[in-house]
Amino acid sequence: MHISEGVLSPAILTGGAALTAIGVGIGLKKIDYEEIPNIGILTSGFFVASLIHIPIGPASVHLVLNGMLGLILGWKAFPAILVGLALQALLFQFGGITTLGINTLNMAFPAVICYYLFGWGIKKSSGRIIFIITAFAAGCCAVLFAGILVGFSLYLNGDAFLPAAKLLVAAHLPVMLIEGVLTATCALFLRKVRPELLEGYYG
Amino acid sequence: MGDFKLRPAFLFFLIIFVILFDMPAFAHKVTIFAWVEGETVYTQSKFSGGKRVKNSSVIVFDSDGNKLLEGKTDDNGEFSFTIPKQTALKVVLKASMGHMAEWKIPVEEINPEAVSNNSKPESDLKDSYETSSGSQTINSGTDLSVLSESHGISKQEIKKLIDESLDRKLSPIMNILADSYGGGPGLTEIIGGIGYIFGLVGVAMYFTSRRKRNHNSGS
Repeated sequence: MHISEGVLSPAILTGGAALTAIGVGIGLKKIDYEEIPNIGILTSGFFVASLIHIPIGPASVHLVLNGMLGLILGWKAFPAILVGLALQALLFQFGGITTLGINTLNMAFPAVICYYLFGWGIKKSSGRIIFIITAFAAGCCAVLFAGILVGFSLYLNGDAFLPAAKLLVAAHLPVMLIEGVLTATCALFLRKVRPELLEGYYG
Repeated sequence: MGDFKLRPAFLFFLIIFVILFDMPAFAHKVTIFAWVEGETVYTQSKFSGGKRVKNSSVIVFDSDGNKLLEGKTDDNGEFSFTIPKQTALKVVLKASMGHMAEWKIPVEEINPEAVSNNSKPESDLKDSYETSSGSQTINSGTDLSVLSESHGISKQEIKKLIDESLDRKLSPIMNILADSYGGGPGLTEIIGGIGYIFGLVGVAMYFTSRRKRNHNSGS
């Protein structure tokens, strides 16, 4: 998911950075004092998730967890993912500093989309089945959309869209399933022990 | 009821367990490592975590950025080519999904003779010697050539033999280097990153709490 430095042209990089800046701005405005530790913990989760390497499939892929961040944080996933990616770039040399903008956009925007698509299901009033299905779908689709967005970024750079996107999505199929299960598990866990974390944003 | 409470906690620890024990299998960066043996440049490409980058294109540029040749990595992530041009080379790996890495080979590694000839004032010394006492040098020169001819080995040949045997002896070391290059991040980086995030949380809370207090005292 991390696009390396030197792959994309400067125009795409600046475009991605500008859109990310808007997203981060919206996210920061929505942050309340009480939510900050919560966001920090989810950022840490995102930061280490990229180290969990999934050996299934043709390429080297890892967990992303953007669906979980989107579902719980909404727009606040933008600043969280930006921080996580910046540290990944600095400490692990995943992606890069110049590609930080476009990489954040590619992972955080699907998170926000999933928040609007599936957030309605993550309520105390919704039944258990609906709850699990929407959480699973959020985890799954966030990775899928991120793959499509990365493919689209490469397409803007001159690669053919369909092969690149197909390869990305195919490589991330196991990740999608695992993230769906993980997101559903975590959402169920939160519903049991900290329902206010889920309720607070959809009340 | 106790069972209900235990299950999520167990899952949570399981996740942490997986994070801690899955560490040798890190992903997500590509690296390329290139070295010269004789007239051939060997490259090895892999994802961080050690998985080899198969069937990806490797492009070789000269020092001016002109493309010299292109090839594909094999199943071991390796690709080798004979030196196309006696300049510094830049080897760029383009893996799928927007991954890229490069390795620069300085001109000294490609063509040590060219550099050593330029840097060593050997020939200059000989020249000056020649001008000071011409006849003597001619004599010593012929002596030298006679000497080397009698042994049947010229200076260049000795150098070539040494280079060859050095390459052969060093190749296991180069392989070890290639294997160790581009490993995944260690525990220090992971803990450090999490520490950074918690630090940022602290900073953010400090500022928002001050804003809140100002707001409260203002109103």
